Amino acid sequence: MSAKRGGPQREEIKRGLPAWVVIWKMIQYRPGIWLLNLLAMLIAYSFFQIPGLLMREFFNLISGDAQIGLNLWTIIALLFASEVGTLLGIYGLITTNVPFFIHTMTLLRKNLLKNILRRPGAAALPDSPGEAISRFRGDVFEIPLFSLWLNDILGLLAFSIVALVIMWNISPTITLLALAPFLVVGIVANLASRQIENYRRASRRATGIVVGFIGEFFGSVQAVKVASAEEGVIEYFNELNDERRVLSLKDRLFNEILHSIFRNAIHIGTGVILILAGQAMLDGSFTVGDFALFVYYLDFIGDLTAFSGLLVARYMQIGVSVERMYRLMEGAEDKALVEFSPVYMDGNFPEISHPEKNDKDRLRSLQVRDLAYRFPGSENGISGIDLEMEQGGFTVVTGRVGSGKTTLLRVLMGLLPRDNGEILWNGEPVPDPDDFFVQPRAAYTGQVPRLFSDSLRDNILMGLGRTDDSVRQAIHAAVMEKDLADLDKGLDTRVGPKGVKLSGGQIQRTAAARMFVRQAELMVFDDLSSALDVETERELWKRVFDRPNATCLVVSHRKMVLRRADHIIVMKDGRIEDEGKLDELLERSEEMQRIWHGDLVPREMRGQKTVV
Amino acid sequence: MKIPFQQYWDLLATHIRPQARRFSMLTVLLLSSIGLQVINPQIMRYFIDTATSGGSGEALSLAAFAFIGIALVQQVVGVSAAYVGENVAWTATNALRAELARHCLQLDMTFHNDSSPGELIERIDGDVAELSNFFSQLVVRVLGNVLLILGIVMALFVEEWRLGLAFLAFAATTLLLLNAVRGIAIPHQKKLRESIADFFGFLEERLAGTEDIRSNGAVDFVLLGMYKLAYVVFGHMYNAWRLNLVVRAVAGLMLTLGISMAFAFGYYLLQGGVITLGTAYLIVYYTNLIRRPIREITQQVESMQNIGAATERLRELRAIESKLEDGPGAEMPTGALGLEVERLHFGYEVEEPVLKGLTFELKPGKALGLLGRTGSGKTTMARLVFRLYDPVSGSIRLGGTDLRTASLKQLRERVAIVTQDVQLFQASVRDNVTFFDRSKSDDRILAVIEDVGLREWYDALPYGLDTKLESGGRDLSAGQGQLLALARVFLRDPGLVILDEASSRLDPATEQLIERAVDKLLKGRTAVIIAHRLGTVNRTDEIMILGEGKIVEHGERNALANDPGSRFASLLKTGLEEVLV
Repeated sequence: MSAKRGGPQREEIKRGLPAWVVIWKMIQYRPGIWLLNLLAMLIAYSFFQIPGLLMREFFNLISGDAQIGLNLWTIIALLFASEVGTLLGIYGLITTNVPFFIHTMTLLRKNLLKNILRRPGAAALPDSPGEAISRFRGDVFEIPLFSLWLNDILGLLAFSIVALVIMWNISPTITLLALAPFLVVGIVANLASRQIENYRRASRRATGIVVGFIGEFFGSVQAVKVASAEEGVIEYFNELNDERRVLSLKDRLFNEILHSIFRNAIHIGTGVILILAGQAMLDGSFTVGDFALFVYYLDFIGDLTAFSGLLVARYMQIGVSVERMYRLMEGAEDKALVEFSPVYMDGNFPEISHPEKNDKDRLRSLQVRDLAYRFPGSENGISGIDLEMEQGGFTVVTGRVGSGKTTLLRVLMGLLPRDNGEILWNGEPVPDPDDFFVQPRAAYTGQVPRLFSDSLRDNILMGLGRTDDSVRQAIHAAVMEKDLADLDKGLDTRVGPKGVKLSGGQIQRTAAARMFVRQAELMVFDDLSSALDVETERELWKRVFDRPNATCLVVSHRKMVLRRADHIIVMKDGRIEDEGKLDELLERSEEMQRIWHGDLVPREMRGQKTVV
Repeated sequence: MKIPFQQYWDLLATHIRPQARRFSMLTVLLLSSIGLQVINPQIMRYFIDTATSGGSGEALSLAAFAFIGIALVQQVVGVSAAYVGENVAWTATNALRAELARHCLQLDMTFHNDSSPGELIERIDGDVAELSNFFSQLVVRVLGNVLLILGIVMALFVEEWRLGLAFLAFAATTLLLLNAVRGIAIPHQKKLRESIADFFGFLEERLAGTEDIRSNGAVDFVLLGMYKLAYVVFGHMYNAWRLNLVVRAVAGLMLTLGISMAFAFGYYLLQGGVITLGTAYLIVYYTNLIRRPIREITQQVESMQNIGAATERLRELRAIESKLEDGPGAEMPTGALGLEVERLHFGYEVEEPVLKGLTFELKPGKALGLLGRTGSGKTTMARLVFRLYDPVSGSIRLGGTDLRTASLKQLRERVAIVTQDVQLFQASVRDNVTFFDRSKSDDRILAVIEDVGLREWYDALPYGLDTKLESGGRDLSAGQGQLLALARVFLRDPGLVILDEASSRLDPATEQLIERAVDKLLKGRTAVIIAHRLGTVNRTDEIMILGEGKIVEHGERNALANDPGSRFASLLKTGLEEVLV
């Protein structure tokens, strides 16, 4: 199990659905809001049209070319009226933007989270949680942003078409030639788009690394402090930050240049009008009013090219974001990212239901046949595992570190995907152990249990509907009742991030209580007692054995546990080395003897241990 | 509430000052860009006047090309300004990120126990990113736009003083009004950002605990938590964005007023024969030119409101003071350090004392085995020796120096701890062993790796010391992680070592490897070994048993073992039971 890979080549490309499908799906998720937004956009843009026409009227008025005959004050009054109309449109935009953002972002985040949680628990994230957060934050945000930005372009497009019709009616030649520079821009944008994607991906990744590192060092702040490593950490942080700065600057510069090219199209267009209009103005066929109207409209048409030029670029960037989201949920189906389901943003949150235990759930026997799993890209793993358990049995898995004990439990529970083998519950095959081995059938406590910054009660229940009495019973079973009495807020005590406000032993016993409260048929402990003292551990096991009907599968090398086992499985190098009762094993298995005596411990020390 | 420009400046000034040259380059670029924007419409005026008064076609073409030329130059200058501005902003905000990260790292544990890493990510990266946006926007856009408006007003003064005066009044009123309304959304923005930080804090923690969530069937519960937090964000976002409309409305109406003024002036001045048609066009064009800056300033006002909230949150973060005052500094003696604890009282909460008056002494070079149930105060004792917390009363002296006299750096360089939780980073093996201390030579690192028995593991690494480890050390076994943690301690040569049940998660065979390394480590050093099991304290000279924050028993190990009435002896019996029964 050694470390692999040097660094940057880690992000393999894995595409899910194309970006446009994801965007389209999000629009379909809330089509009403999106259409209302489009409507508001069209209203706003149609009011933008009016000042151009008024401008033309004004200059025609003062140059004596007026045809309609509005006076100065009517023109001014109409200007104000169109501004009020625009504001109404903008109000409509705001009231639709916010719900669209929240609904679609929550759906995407829900789907991401759901699929991450569906992945094998032991390998759920490609990078650190902090890095994953940068995807939940930035990359998710891009999708609704783009969907709404489309409306902006559509509004502008509608505006431009109307404007072009008006301009065409004034002078077809000047209109055509003034548009020419905008075509060039479209071509440039397409050529540049590939590069944009690269720059964006690089700067995003650098951001991910920085964010991931912040998460890591604050996640282990105590270790940083006691090692007095603050300066070193900051220095490394600075290095990562600087890499990110350079990459972001490149990304930005490229965008700026493109944007500037788009903006320039309008200046060149205006220049073209100047060149052509000179003659027409001299002979009176093109008025100053017409000129003012052209310049006003060209400004918007310039925006349209800038936008649609950026559209290609932005779309490429969205592609990167979509890809990064899919990286988080590797192994999930492509459509999983955009699957529709409620997000409850009306404030009526759903009740959580947990299935009641039925007769099929009751454990009579559990068989495992020829179970195998190999860690990707390595020789390590387990193979050829057979296991038989009866209701009420107490099976202990033991072996040295790296012998595959934890892997065995994880594969059985579906926290790692098995490569081979069969699992039978009461004789019936279990196709999806990860969905199957949960409450009310099974409960599991890992080696290093995680708590969350919630109340103690919520950490134990995790959504399970049980009374405080049941929680207290579970706490008692976990030998934590005295600790509970010492907490001033009792079950409501907030345990802090990762449970830091509790001691190591308390965290482990809270996890045990979490398992007990589930009253599962099968309890699986992965070395439950590593942070407990002898007396507490003894008491805890006593209470476990007192539970009626408890069927347990336990990883341990503690003598007191081995002694109580109905059946012991000795693991070595990912295989079952031997199994049976303790006495037989101590008799015949060298590996068992080693584990029992700690044979590799120097003789004098072992002597001491037995003497004292 | 107003935009705290002053506070904003306080946050960034120290980081911008070192970039004076870039900054002045930025100024020059900005001013040129503005000058060019003001000059170009003059060409249009010339053009219109020439065209309407029957001038030559050649002069008209020349004017048209000049217009295009100036426009192009202006774009190049604009892009350069944006680039330089962005660079200044990144450099400054990266320095601020580092400053804040350092600050937070130095805060005491009570702060860290209350803030999740996800929350700190949002603050140190998210909030600072807002500041960075603001800087590039503030300097390049807002300031540039304000200058552009000034330039235009000046150009109008040149045309006609009444015109200049009227537009000066107009521009000033518009900017003042915008300034007056920009603060209204800040309280909501602040709540919005806080709710976003809560949201991601929640997510980060859940993402770190996927196995526990899955195996406890709590997926729906976690999703429910996420909906609830998203719903809170929703509410604040709605309020914040709706209030921004006010700003937008003020800007829009003022602009319309400006155009109306331009129309009226153009109309009457032309009628009075004061100006030409070209100048009337110039006036309207300039007023329209103001539209863009005002629109951009308005948009910036929105981000200024974000920034107002972010600045405040960052200021609050920076203002949090560590409850531990760093000591004035005192040299620690070299070699093994003695430990003296006197009438030590401590509790995390005032009403809940954890340590109740401990007094004991540990001579240099001796090893003490610390025993007791979970929650008896063993780990707390260790934290106090590191000065992660200060005693409520009483004192701890190390090598004769009170902990509060030495600086934290001096202290922590001489004390080391090995805990059951090994913290590894997604960084190279070198950085993981040295804890990012670049002053350690590769030879020294390799020697240490050899010392702890990781040579075989090291030889299998594809890139040697440069091999990157996975986040959280997923590709190391628990035993290898422990050994790596020991390597860190070896590298630092401490005078006191605390072992906090370092080997509890290991099987006896692996434990033996570690014991060998620990034996080497403890030679010539003072040690406190915190143990839950008796096997772990075999190598100690003294034994101390804690119970409910008090010393139950303390003495020489052999003496206690041989005294049948001692608590230790009876514990040994329980231990023996484990071996015999």
